[in-house]
Amino acid sequence: MKPFGNTEVNKRYTVVIGCGRLGANLANALSDEDGNVLIIDKNKDAFRKLSPSYGGLTVVGDATDLGVLQEAQINKADVVVAATNNDNANIMVAQIARELFQIDRVIARLYDPERECVYREFEIDTICPAILSAKEIDKILAKTDLSTANSQEGEA
Amino acid sequence: MKTRVLLIGGRNKAKSLASSLINKGYHVTVINDTYEDCMKLAEVEKLTVINGDGTRPFVLEDANAGDADIAIALTSKDEDNLVVCELCKKKFHVKKTVALLTDPKKTDFFYKMGIDSVVCAISAITGIIEQQTFMDKIATLVPIGEGRVSIAEVPIPGTAPAVGKKLWEINLPKQVVIGCILRGDMTMVPRGDTRILAGDMLVLISSDKQEMAAIQELTGR
Repeated sequence: MKPFGNTEVNKRYTVVIGCGRLGANLANALSDEDGNVLIIDKNKDAFRKLSPSYGGLTVVGDATDLGVLQEAQINKADVVVAATNNDNANIMVAQIARELFQIDRVIARLYDPERECVYREFEIDTICPAILSAKEIDKILAKTDLSTANSQEGEA
Repeated sequence: MKTRVLLIGGRNKAKSLASSLINKGYHVTVINDTYEDCMKLAEVEKLTVINGDGTRPFVLEDANAGDADIAIALTSKDEDNLVVCELCKKKFHVKKTVALLTDPKKTDFFYKMGIDSVVCAISAITGIIEQQTFMDKIATLVPIGEGRVSIAEVPIPGTAPAVGKKLWEINLPKQVVIGCILRGDMTMVPRGDTRILAGDMLVLISSDKQEMAAIQELTGR
């Protein structure tokens, strides 16, 4: 398999695992930014979430299978993002990418931040939607608090 | 103090392993995420059963994973077993972790991740089936050192080409020795000039999967 006929060596090659809302959005965005993207999902129908303008590749298969990862040429990836809906699968895929394929940048989505300790020593970056959302909500609240405080001051 | 063993996942495997370990005097706790399975497991006497997802740190904490000496992950999902063992190792400092593995290709990876013992069900089962099907001449075969060395019990029928020969006359593969001959009530450690007789039971020690070749040489099958 020769995914990229044109030899633009400098383009960043990103492998996204799991074509859910996060994976698909990320793949669309990276593809729009003119990067090389490949997205893997067990279920062929999941690729419907990709935009019609998506210019990357898709692979149907279980990304915890080493054969599937090899088919995706993961060894050539600059970045691997594990974004399936299963925390443990993300942990395993991220560790495989890191330890067996020596990928420098590995990012994993983790619903449950308690399991983060498993990642730490492998230098795998994690994002936790719950924590991010909480921070964001906090920010919004701080802003609205400020504005209501301001408006009350104005009234006074 | 009793050795404490923690089993995570697995219904029938966990149940039979738990009963066997309890009989041997271990203190056993199982974690299982389905309530029905827990009810079945609870039928085993002296077994502590915890209903919950063993890949979650707080469930392991409820099961006192910190006090466990051995953790054995038996779920049907490789990724769950990996996470269970890593959590046990890193967060709870369990001395020995054992993981069941479905995909034989990941055996090395699991060891690399620091799991102490990886049991690949598929290769173990296919190995046993192969033995049972093609080596019905072998009474028992015991793998040692992750299957690199095996001890086999080989009965010698009257038709075997080795009958009447001295050991040094038999062209055995280099990695195989005949450790012992059981003849009637007698057991003997053979020398080069010991003759093999019909009805002998040979105990073979072999490495590098040479037992098949040796058995063929001895019994003609």
